[in-house]
Amino acid sequence: MSLAEPSGENWTPLDPGAVRRDFPIFSSATAHRLHYLDNAATTQKPGAVIDAITNSYTQHYAPIHRGLYPLAEQATGSYERARATLQRFIGAGSPDELVFTHSATDAINRVASGWLKPRLRRGDSVWVSRMEHHSNYLPWQRVCRETGAQLKVIELTQDGQLDLLGTPELFGERTRFIAVTHVSNVLGIENPVAALCARARHHDIPVLVDAAQSVSHLELDVEAMCCDFLAFSAHKMFGPTGIGLLYGRADRLRDMVPSQVGGGMVDVVGEGGEESLWAQSPARFEAGSPDMPGAVGFAAAAHYLVGLGRDRVRRHVATLTRRAAEQLSALADIRLLPHAELPSSGIVSFTHRALHPHDLAQVAGEAGVAIRAGHHCAQPLLGGLGLAATARASFSVYNDESDIQALVAAIVEAQKVFCA
Amino acid sequence: MTAQDIYKETLLEHYRHPKNRCDGPIQDADATERGANPRCGDEVEVAIFLHDDTIEQVKFRGRGCAICIASASMMTETVNGNSVARALDLCDQMRAWFDPAESPAAVSLPHSLDALEAVRQHPARKKCVLLSWEALAGAIAQSPAR
Repeated sequence: MSLAEPSGENWTPLDPGAVRRDFPIFSSATAHRLHYLDNAATTQKPGAVIDAITNSYTQHYAPIHRGLYPLAEQATGSYERARATLQRFIGAGSPDELVFTHSATDAINRVASGWLKPRLRRGDSVWVSRMEHHSNYLPWQRVCRETGAQLKVIELTQDGQLDLLGTPELFGERTRFIAVTHVSNVLGIENPVAALCARARHHDIPVLVDAAQSVSHLELDVEAMCCDFLAFSAHKMFGPTGIGLLYGRADRLRDMVPSQVGGGMVDVVGEGGEESLWAQSPARFEAGSPDMPGAVGFAAAAHYLVGLGRDRVRRHVATLTRRAAEQLSALADIRLLPHAELPSSGIVSFTHRALHPHDLAQVAGEAGVAIRAGHHCAQPLLGGLGLAATARASFSVYNDESDIQALVAAIVEAQKVFCA
Repeated sequence: MTAQDIYKETLLEHYRHPKNRCDGPIQDADATERGANPRCGDEVEVAIFLHDDTIEQVKFRGRGCAICIASASMMTETVNGNSVARALDLCDQMRAWFDPAESPAAVSLPHSLDALEAVRQHPARKKCVLLSWEALAGAIAQSPAR
């Protein structure tokens, strides 16, 4: 299947009403219309993805890479076609550079333990940014503690950008690795990862980009981005929960140790204590029976996104983000987190002068408005901002102006309840 | 809007006008204990003032969501004047009340806590309710009465 996007003069804005009809959850009978604004946590699933998963169980289910009968060959074909679809989706040079994992978190942990840890020595530095999700912070913190290396943090400038100028040691000779998010799950800021990767490559420093928060609305091209590793999950881009992807440049994966060993990842098993010979990537990193239905659903989600048109998706999400930021900041007691006005990535985080985010989210939830409240797995960032928790609304393809209005109405209602 | 289902008027009243809440440090208490929920930034400090085996007064200070603050306020009202043993029993019963494995019939709490009943339907808020009760148990554990 090709991955052709609608383009050129055929360009029309995304129609969120039509998109909603693709998602069964929005037609299920509930008391309220669902205003789902927790897309940065996870997205809803279109029928195309659900059907693809169902079909993979009802029509061509069998073991992967293990059977010689037609059904097994079909199942294996489905699994590998899914990989090829995702390869084109992210612009990778070869399907062998794509490893299916359980999640973005899993993908990052594998690079930390399988690629970086064997190379890391006392006194080396590993860099992350202030705005990392815990999943792109803790794996690096742990390998540093295990090896005596130092975890260092790229701080943010006043306007919320990575302070690359203020961090001259970033590309210094002690730096062994840089891990940075493409888009912040709290601030919604998009980082200049391509420029960062280009500079890092000049110094031969590998970079991992956490694309979990960008993959649903920004076009990814790992060759243009020049990254060494890239991680994201299916569930934040309309695909199934429980499967993620690790992209690793071919030469990096060649040097990576499999963090799990077992069936399907070995060519020759050593006798007794003798060394075993691992398979090549990606099989080497996919021990155990592969999740074919998950991979098929993942690929169906990529097709779905491409079918919507990622440029249309990006514009739609940016417009909603900007509108939400405008309408929320018009409320006297709402304070947006820094730079939420930037028309970027579908995320608006905010606090209320008097109301706790939990109470806001609870009252909003009663009105059918699903928002997130808490630290969003970004304690280093919230601590740096002097906050313990925020409320967060995050937008996607099926959201429209009515969702923003419902959110604003819910905040007004919460003010009535608590500030009476 | 059915938010009132969880935010009962009694609960809101405790949130808006908490009983036995101090703004600054609590002086001369027999024991104090802090409790925190780093996931949402809620933080309370509970202080007890004893006379022999009786808790003459409980005070608290801190910040939190409406349920956390209301629960702390209700806790102080309920516990004031009770014996240390009764206060510990109340802490245990509160834990049991929010434990899905326990039968609610096995728990008998004073009516002053009735407004928390609706919160039991929201397991995500359990920690908000129990924060001050856990701190109370911690303060008692450190006190000379133990």
